[in-house]
Amino acid sequence: VTLRQKMLLMLALTVMGVVAAVGWTGSVRVGHVFEDMDRQQTDLLVGQFQHEFNQRASETAAAVDRMAASDTLRRIAFDLSNGGDSAPYLTVAVPLAEEYRLDYLELIGHDGSIVSSLQWTARFGYKEPAVTAAGKPAFLKQEDLPDGTSQVGLFAVRTVTGSDPPLYVVGGRQLDAGFLRDFSVPAGTQIFIYKNVSGPFDAHNFAGPLQGPDSGEHYEALVDDARSNARNAEGVVYPTSRSEDSMSVTAIPLKGLEGDVLAVLVVANSRRSMVEVQRHIRDIAYGIAGLGIIFAVLASLWIAARISRPIEELARAAGRVAEGDWETRVDIRTMDEVGALARSFNNMTRQLAEQRERLVQTERVAAWRELARRLAHELKNPLTPLQITVENMVRARKLPKKQFDEVFKESTATLEAEIENLKTIVGRFSDFSKLPKPQALEMDAREAVRRVVKLYGPALEEKEIELGTSISAEPLPILGDSELLHRALSNLVLNAMDAMPEGGTLTVSAVRAREMVRISVADTGAGLTPEECERLFTPYYTTKQHGTGLGLAIVQSVIADHNGTIAVENVEGGGARFVIGLPLAESAEA
Amino acid sequence: MGRRFVISRGVAWLMLACVAASACAGTRPHYGGTLRIETQGDPWQMPDGIARRLVLDTLTTVGDAGGARPALAVRWESQNADHRWEFWIRPGVHFQDGEALTADAVAAALTDTCSHTGAACPWSAVHAVGPSVVFTSDSPAPDLPELLAQTQFGIGRQDASGAVVGTGPFRVTGFANGALTLVANDDCWAGRPFADAVEVRTRRTIRDQWLDLSVGKTDIVEVPPELLRQAQQQHLNVLVSRPVDLLALTISPSGAFVSREMRQAAALAVDRTALYNVIFQKQGEVTASLLPQGLSGYSFLFLSDRDLDRARALRGGANASLTMLGADDTGATMQLAAARLALNLHEAGFNVQVTQAGSRQPPTLALRRVHLEAASPRPALDEMLARFGQNGTVNGTDAAALWQAERGVLDNEAIVPLLWLPRAWAAGERVRDLRLSVDGEPLLADASLEGAK
Repeated sequence: VTLRQKMLLMLALTVMGVVAAVGWTGSVRVGHVFEDMDRQQTDLLVGQFQHEFNQRASETAAAVDRMAASDTLRRIAFDLSNGGDSAPYLTVAVPLAEEYRLDYLELIGHDGSIVSSLQWTARFGYKEPAVTAAGKPAFLKQEDLPDGTSQVGLFAVRTVTGSDPPLYVVGGRQLDAGFLRDFSVPAGTQIFIYKNVSGPFDAHNFAGPLQGPDSGEHYEALVDDARSNARNAEGVVYPTSRSEDSMSVTAIPLKGLEGDVLAVLVVANSRRSMVEVQRHIRDIAYGIAGLGIIFAVLASLWIAARISRPIEELARAAGRVAEGDWETRVDIRTMDEVGALARSFNNMTRQLAEQRERLVQTERVAAWRELARRLAHELKNPLTPLQITVENMVRARKLPKKQFDEVFKESTATLEAEIENLKTIVGRFSDFSKLPKPQALEMDAREAVRRVVKLYGPALEEKEIELGTSISAEPLPILGDSELLHRALSNLVLNAMDAMPEGGTLTVSAVRAREMVRISVADTGAGLTPEECERLFTPYYTTKQHGTGLGLAIVQSVIADHNGTIAVENVEGGGARFVIGLPLAESAEA
Repeated sequence: MGRRFVISRGVAWLMLACVAASACAGTRPHYGGTLRIETQGDPWQMPDGIARRLVLDTLTTVGDAGGARPALAVRWESQNADHRWEFWIRPGVHFQDGEALTADAVAAALTDTCSHTGAACPWSAVHAVGPSVVFTSDSPAPDLPELLAQTQFGIGRQDASGAVVGTGPFRVTGFANGALTLVANDDCWAGRPFADAVEVRTRRTIRDQWLDLSVGKTDIVEVPPELLRQAQQQHLNVLVSRPVDLLALTISPSGAFVSREMRQAAALAVDRTALYNVIFQKQGEVTASLLPQGLSGYSFLFLSDRDLDRARALRGGANASLTMLGADDTGATMQLAAARLALNLHEAGFNVQVTQAGSRQPPTLALRRVHLEAASPRPALDEMLARFGQNGTVNGTDAAALWQAERGVLDNEAIVPLLWLPRAWAAGERVRDLRLSVDGEPLLADASLEGAK
């Protein structure tokens, strides 16, 4: 992750967080406002329905009042008060109820016995306790019916006008879907009545237009609350998983004369319009927030780019320096901290270049000194015998000819040998300077290793050196010059053999290590000091008495020409290990 | 003086004769016309379909004072201690399709009645012997002549077209638009009826019947007992029979009423007075007997008072499992009576509910209206026992023996008699000489129409 990406992420998250916090706060506040409005609307509806309910109660009482004052009932009351038989009036409640549009009607004699009953004709003669409520406003009453059920009705009890002894009229209307049908219900609002409040909740006890997604079960908690606590219960009901189907519900307990809850009026107000408006507002808020976030990202990009570009240039310049371009410089565009950093970078690279130049010159001098020392050393060895031989020949001139000839012959042989030695030394230096460039062809690195092992196997046995190999079973393709690699590996094996004059173990391995081929040659000799490790690959540096110091330099040169690496390390328990890393051919990487 | 006196007496006698003749001509029944009658039920239904009575004759009839009278049988005699009865068939009687009535035809018709209609026949075998029909039975049948007067034992046969023909005063000619049409049988052995035809409109509600009567669209309509007082208040020409229908609660010995104590508790819980006073508007008589008081003379011995405390005590803490109570009539009055009984039983602690009309499951408690045709005590008890499917026997002819026999049946508390109800009919102004049979059915063959030619 780049600095620019980090800055972009941080800025974007910050802006998004701010937008989200503002949006959430606004949404919550708007939600509260709408909830308050919904509650006020529901309260208004509840008040309206309670008013309409009271209106129905008044209408019921008025109907019973009119009936009590009717000529029909006054005539019946007169007949009964004069000892008339009540039997002929057994079914008189039927036409009267039809005329006055009542669902329940009973005529009660002065002794409280039923004379005529619309809802349960067979109950004539039985007592009706509701007569004690004569003259009171309409009230709720549970009415038992012949089929064993009971229904809740809105009743009024009146005394027939002028009757003495009194004849009572108990008339009522059933609280059912028909009762609710006359209520003026605004769109989106539903009203139900839950009847038969005793016993566990049963959705079948609802009367009203229960349709669509609504189902009585969802009102159970509110209805139970209302009927158990005898007070209004309010809440939001979710008939489906969709919030627009939710309803604001108020359950109103309807009580009888004794204060007992006989039914529950449920007013359910749809929240669809409110939810849709809320959703619309939220969608607008999300749109604005999205645009804000996009703007924030673009702004963050611009700000991040403005801040990070000089730093990125510095990073690229540092990378070029690391790659060896010591002349790299960065532009100084500002006078702030970034500008100071750029100036410091330019100073640093300039100083590094100067120090490197001085170091190169120093090393060059040291190399020449080392070369001179090595050449002097190498040339001094054959020159001393040449000088002694020439001096012997000068002295031998005084000897007899036969002896002289013998000395001359020995001296010339010595001279030729030493001159040949000098030529050999000169040839080696010439070879190092003329080391050819590798002819890279795709080859299997295992073949180069096996070739070397096979070549030096007899010599190793002769020197009682045990050979251990670990060569990959898979091909190790590389691009390389087989002759040069053979020469390099031979050098390493010969060095290892020299390091184990008393015998030991030579371990050669060739394995694949990710995208490289790793070849190692390890011995169990005396190992190397840290200084030797550091200088081992320096040309003309040798730890052997008769070495030229060019062997490992040639090896390093060959490996470098193959874009590889070579390193040396001490092996735990004694000995040294040379590790070569060569890149796999591209075909193998694919 | 003598001549003038004779002349004046002669003129006076002549004038008296003319007045008498004109008076006789005004009251004499007229032949002709169509007598229209409306009913709620099926006029052909057993056992008392009104059309059936017009088409089919029985071997005997019942007199107003009881006792069998000759009809298709001219005489009869019993043998072998009432185990064998022989009835001589009236000669010269023909079916309405012209075929002569024979003893073989009578035996075949009665055998068919027993085997196909499921009627409880008080004989074991019937066969023709020359001009007579012989009945044999395993047990004595002393009342067979009067029992044979029941409508269910009418003699008929199918003609070539498959229609039922009998020897009665009318024959069926068709059924269209809910009206059954019968025309007079000119060759009826009992004489031609006055009316040329009878039209029976079926399935008419009482309200519609009364409306039709008021506008002259019909001549005779039914008057249920509960509306009898109302009919009289409306000054309808009402003919009322003696009590001929028994309203009774039958209790199947199962479920909550498997024990006699429970059935007795139910019998004690019912409030007959409320049924009589209110639902049936004080018509008929409260009873706990299978026979009306006027017939048996002892029915008051069966107590009909309600005793709710004893009913509750008898019931005790028995399980109040739900018991269904049904009425054999879907009419509103019978349903109301059933609902009242359910209330009575509920007061005693029973959990009783009235079944809806059309319920296939036979209810444990059934409110039945049972018709009585016999007019003598012993045949009447035999008939009622047969109607209720009881196998009681009456040993002896006196009232004590009948009471013993009836008590033996009622002691099981499976039948709870409630009310004896009359039958009533209202006739229009143009109907003359309409009478009711002893079992309350109109005798249409004897009625004539005013203004008919």
